[in-house]
Amino acid sequence: MRLGRQEFGDDDALMMAIVNRTPDSFFDKGATWGEDAAFARVAEVVGQGAEIVDIGGIKAAPGVEISAAEEKARVVDFVAGVREQWPDVVISVDTWRAEVGDAVCAAGADVLNDAWGGADPELVDVAAAHDAAIICTHTGGVTPRTRPYRIEYDDVVAAATNDTVAYAERALAAGVARESIVIDPAHDFGKNTFHSLEVTRRIDEMVATGWPVLVSLSNKDFVGETLGLDVGERLVGTLAATSVCALAGARIYRVHQVVETRQTVDMVWSIAGRRPPLRAIRGLQ
Amino acid sequence: MTPPVALVPGVLALLPSYASIDDPVAELRAACLTAVGELGPRVRVEASGASGVRVGAGLVRAVGATVVTSAESGVLVVGNGSATRTEKAPGHLDPRAEAFDATLRESFSGIDQELATELWADTACLAGLPRLAEADVRYDDAPFGVQYWVAVWG
Repeated sequence: MRLGRQEFGDDDALMMAIVNRTPDSFFDKGATWGEDAAFARVAEVVGQGAEIVDIGGIKAAPGVEISAAEEKARVVDFVAGVREQWPDVVISVDTWRAEVGDAVCAAGADVLNDAWGGADPELVDVAAAHDAAIICTHTGGVTPRTRPYRIEYDDVVAAATNDTVAYAERALAAGVARESIVIDPAHDFGKNTFHSLEVTRRIDEMVATGWPVLVSLSNKDFVGETLGLDVGERLVGTLAATSVCALAGARIYRVHQVVETRQTVDMVWSIAGRRPPLRAIRGLQ
Repeated sequence: MTPPVALVPGVLALLPSYASIDDPVAELRAACLTAVGELGPRVRVEASGASGVRVGAGLVRAVGATVVTSAESGVLVVGNGSATRTEKAPGHLDPRAEAFDATLRESFSGIDQELATELWADTACLAGLPRLAEADVRYDDAPFGVQYWVAVWG
């Protein structure tokens, strides 16, 4: 797998740390809206070993409309600043707009994380033009920044798999490098809690496509509704879901809590036989 | 001419199947590989049990040599002192262990095999070895409460 300037091995599991340039995202509620706070967040997560930062200028939930110009104002210079300070970190930008994708790639971004499933058909062309990676998500065809409402699927996993693989093939045809295409079922996007639980349970079917799988589980509503917990109380549930996806072989974890997720994925990766223990001597002396 | 003889401990952590990201026995492994590398291309392994045979054979393969049962270019003896040197040692602390290992360090002849068993020592194949004082001793330590020696009689 290659994400812009960085190559990764087939057995690497990667942490993608969320960095919001928004005043209103659900988990941090604007904690990194200020530029200094946002740079501090990048320093923190890079220090914690995150390979990727995922910078977003628009919260996923409905709200005040943010123009492309405003989105660019929130992220482009910030991307350039992160690139300057951290030349090796993989920079992903969470956007569905080709215009924004073009500007952030020019500023040094490596990955376009299209959380809204190809709503802008030209995003793949932008990724190809910049030799950037692209995350192909499944939303069930909903309009960006809308909540799922009475959406049903005959088979949600088949839909997620078919749609993301079709998107991946479209990206490939547009000229994005094969090793730079990732698929993501997009938990809770166009999905109710039952759908997200089923996608988690059957994530191995997406891994079996051969495309690397990204999962974005962190503190989401399907965890909250399943356990009856508010946003600040969902870490344990998030890590349980993370374990299930890790055992199946999901490769990238989009997270708020890097340290806890890394420990969880490392542990499961070792259980799966993909990572040796760090230092095992008990009984082997 | 007598072929060279090396002594290594039967540490399972030396096997590739028990590899960690951070090698807990890096120094010991380096000493073992150097010693076994001096035994030539055909090495006969003497060990007290199956795991010792595997460790010995693993080291022989790791240096690109072949395990043989006759016409050897060198002999690899697998064994070690007590495993009761500290409270965290595999066999817990036995106050007799340090003196027992000191005696072995002087000579491998006349080993008290009953005491060796009580101290979890792997000495069955050590009895025929010359004294350590006559060897090139590459490693002499008990990092996990188990007494290891790596030595070559050339």
